[in-house]
Amino acid sequence: MNVTIGLADLLLISPIIVLFLFSLVPLITKVTNNNQEQKPAATLITALMGLGISAGLLILFGGSDQTIFNGQLLFDGLTKWAGLITIISAAAGLVMMYENPSTHYEQFSEIVFLALNSIAGMLVLISAVNLITMFIGLELMSLSLYLMIAMSQEQKLSKEAAIKYFILGSVASAIFLYGVSFVFGSTNTVNITELIQIGTATIQSNKLFLFGITFIVVGFCFKVSIAPFHAWTPDVYQGAPTPITAFMATAIKTASFAAFLRIAATQVFQGSQGLIDVIQWLAVVTMIVGNVAAIIQTNFKRTLAYSSIAHSGYILVGVLTVGLSANSAYSAASVLFYLLTYSVMTIGAFAVLSMIEKSETDFVTTESLAGFAKKQPTLAFCLAIFLFSMAGLPPALGFFSKFYLFGAAVNEGLIWLTLWGVINSAIGVYYYLRPIIVMYMKDGSADISSPKLYASTVLVVTAALFIIIVGLFSGPLFSMIERSLS
Amino acid sequence: MIDNNLIGSSVLSVLIFLPLIFAAVILLWPQKNTVRELAFGFSIIQLAVSLFMLKDFNSATAALQFVEKFSWIERFGISYFVGVDGISVMLVMLTTVLMPIMILGSWKSIDQKLKGFHVALFVLQSAMLGSFLALDAVLFYVFWELSLIPMYFIIGIWGGSRKIYATVKFFIFTMTGSVLMLLAIIFMMRLTPEVTGGAISASLLDFYKLKIPFIGNDFFTPQTLLFFAFAGAFAIKVPLFPLHTWLPDAHVEAPTPGSVVLAGVMLKMGTYCYLRWVIPLFPEASSHFAWLFISLGVIGIIYGALVAMIQPDVKKLVAYSSVSHMGYIILGLFVLNVYGVNGALYQMLNHGVSTGGLFLLIGMIYERTHSREISKYGGLASAMPIFTIVFLIVTMSSIAVPLTNGFIGEFLILLGAYNYSPLVAACAVIGVVLGAAYMLWMVKKVFFGPAGEIVTQSLHDPEHALHDLSLREFSVMAPILILILWMGLFPNTIMNYSKASVDYLLANRQNYSLSILQDSSKDTLEEAK
Repeated sequence: MNVTIGLADLLLISPIIVLFLFSLVPLITKVTNNNQEQKPAATLITALMGLGISAGLLILFGGSDQTIFNGQLLFDGLTKWAGLITIISAAAGLVMMYENPSTHYEQFSEIVFLALNSIAGMLVLISAVNLITMFIGLELMSLSLYLMIAMSQEQKLSKEAAIKYFILGSVASAIFLYGVSFVFGSTNTVNITELIQIGTATIQSNKLFLFGITFIVVGFCFKVSIAPFHAWTPDVYQGAPTPITAFMATAIKTASFAAFLRIAATQVFQGSQGLIDVIQWLAVVTMIVGNVAAIIQTNFKRTLAYSSIAHSGYILVGVLTVGLSANSAYSAASVLFYLLTYSVMTIGAFAVLSMIEKSETDFVTTESLAGFAKKQPTLAFCLAIFLFSMAGLPPALGFFSKFYLFGAAVNEGLIWLTLWGVINSAIGVYYYLRPIIVMYMKDGSADISSPKLYASTVLVVTAALFIIIVGLFSGPLFSMIERSLS
Repeated sequence: MIDNNLIGSSVLSVLIFLPLIFAAVILLWPQKNTVRELAFGFSIIQLAVSLFMLKDFNSATAALQFVEKFSWIERFGISYFVGVDGISVMLVMLTTVLMPIMILGSWKSIDQKLKGFHVALFVLQSAMLGSFLALDAVLFYVFWELSLIPMYFIIGIWGGSRKIYATVKFFIFTMTGSVLMLLAIIFMMRLTPEVTGGAISASLLDFYKLKIPFIGNDFFTPQTLLFFAFAGAFAIKVPLFPLHTWLPDAHVEAPTPGSVVLAGVMLKMGTYCYLRWVIPLFPEASSHFAWLFISLGVIGIIYGALVAMIQPDVKKLVAYSSVSHMGYIILGLFVLNVYGVNGALYQMLNHGVSTGGLFLLIGMIYERTHSREISKYGGLASAMPIFTIVFLIVTMSSIAVPLTNGFIGEFLILLGAYNYSPLVAACAVIGVVLGAAYMLWMVKKVFFGPAGEIVTQSLHDPEHALHDLSLREFSVMAPILILILWMGLFPNTIMNYSKASVDYLLANRQNYSLSILQDSSKDTLEEAK
């Protein structure tokens, strides 16, 4: 095989290179200054610049439908949009890290280094059309993340969470890799574009290949916390510093789902009714587990963790729709749109939570939000918007993204699955309303940790405005995503 | 269409969005102590706009009027599509008429978080008007769900001691019903390319053209399932027995204006939607399952009345009487004849006026005594004579005494029920008797007889002295009294507005479609595309 690297290759991969280079800046600065932590604001601005340039390059070169490095990475609409969602979520996550007590002290430049590398990994994962490259992206993303979770200095739970996530994550990676080896053994290829041509036929005749694909699916299910592979999620989400949790719940999930979408888009599932049935039941079980378990949580962060599991269930419905649909641009756009919405509202909710936390060991229970509406009317109102949006109530964006997602599923004839989806949305209302009840209808003294959290406030208000304004005019954005995918 | 008169052509959008602007102004208003006056003024402006709409309303046609249609989410054929016809026009008026009454009625009872309260009230008004006027399924759903949020806060923040339980129950019940309706809407949108020639659409007029197949004895056919998805969502809102349990809780815990808007307008959203969505969209299923709704309606009438009889709390008594009255409306709708439907439509207005009035009166007495226990009252007539007279008149309207509005509505419904089946009418008449019984029994215990604990205390203790209606309170009730008598004496002035639409609906039920009146001042009709 003759590999030549041309200018085109470098241009297309430039968003990833830029991220890597920028991730080194704070680290090198720190090392050359006697290991003294620089001003966190400067580090943050460097990181945001890196993310901004990377996003700009992605917009510029991303949607050109070209593969580079001999068909390793594909820069199509999916790469562009999923990449943008992860970059935006990561930027928001960094802003939160800058103002949260557990992440902004001595190790901020290390965190930024790890975060930017993790995003570089995500971009590789999203754009990979080769299962091995995909695995490399997955590992780059995850390994950086394991360290980030352990970053909190005083919080023991953070260490526990990191170890737990590391062990389970490694098992999942192994399962994924095992699946890849089966796929290679049975088809002689690890290239996803080739799977599009042979996958559907092979899966019917070749049990080894079916086995391999199933293992790959399970590997992804772990990463995006689909029940019954979700057990790590609440503990890790709770133990990790809140900004890191937000980063995980949005960027990591988006990237993993984007890669999952790539596998689904090969239409390989269509060859095996058994696999389709399994994925349907996984989606149903995930929605139910997420929503029902969220009801009984008292810790607000855990509630959000279970809510994120429930949302994974909805998104899995969309992924299956893509796997079944002949006209997958609409279905894939509905999944990406949902991921965008989900990321914005999750970031918003976690950002409010992160502002309330007073120290590294502070746990915010739902009950302790009492009186928040009186003390911080703007933030409370924004949190209410995020929660209403998560519950899928119009006119918030969450409703429209659910509408598009379920509309795509009904289009593919997945009516009973959609029925489970809407019933679960109704169950979800119960626990999404609880924090609102406590904030607005009970007396208490909840307040944010410091009045100087300007960046987070801006972040929260922007996210809330996005939810409402894009909610009212969601058509153009959706069409834009759909066009770039077809 | 280019119209010189800008408001004339977009009066419905003004009606829907003006309250939102009012809400924003109230939110930014610098003076806290003039919020009430400001809100009252705004509600009068809103009433004036709706009267302006009514003036130009053409009651001779069943066509949609003042129609506005803009593309909203083009990809899915979702549009901002509003219009008014004879079925919705009076409910719009009911909403705008009750609003100033409600604000004036809550002058004293709401004394904290004034801004928030009035903002919620105006957002609620906007959402309710939107649901009455929307002709696009998704737009309708957005307004329908939006109306939950302000009501949720009104009960939850300004409500009584069990407010949180009541508001969560209210929210979950209604939301559960509506998500199934959402699924049904998505499903129907998917079918629309058959009638629009390829493009997906959420327009109600395209939905009307669908003619979803109906197979009588098989439950799992599209029309039957869709029918129950829609009818179920609306039945929870109405509420129809046995889905009514959220209503008494919500009523009892809600502050007075909350109860008024809930009984007065929100419940009508449910019954109105049967006429707008269920009966024309699923004609065969509506006839086929009419017996079910009629039976549940009749059970609701009798059950509501029986439960009302044993209530020790006045407000709860009126809440259960609401269940009973809403049973009449469902009965009238599903007998599907001209008497029944006209009566039901009229009864929607009556119930809004009279039950709204009763809740206002109960609120006034509660402000004075902080008690709603029937057993603590007695002999109130001597202490508050004017109040007693007003209460009696509203009671007469509620139990459908001739010359009041309630009589016209109930009489027509019973006539319709008799034409459907004399047996049904006979059962429903029991409800009339029971209704008179529990209301009059309550009036007797509260106003007449030996002086009870509260009245005795008021005589001996000047601090607890009972004042009769103040000027403000009387001006709250005056419009309600006028409406009760006006609607009782001259029902035609109101019914004329809806006659054409109801006749058209009943005559063309199997093949329903609505045309759009291009210019309300001329009689130029054009088939809707």
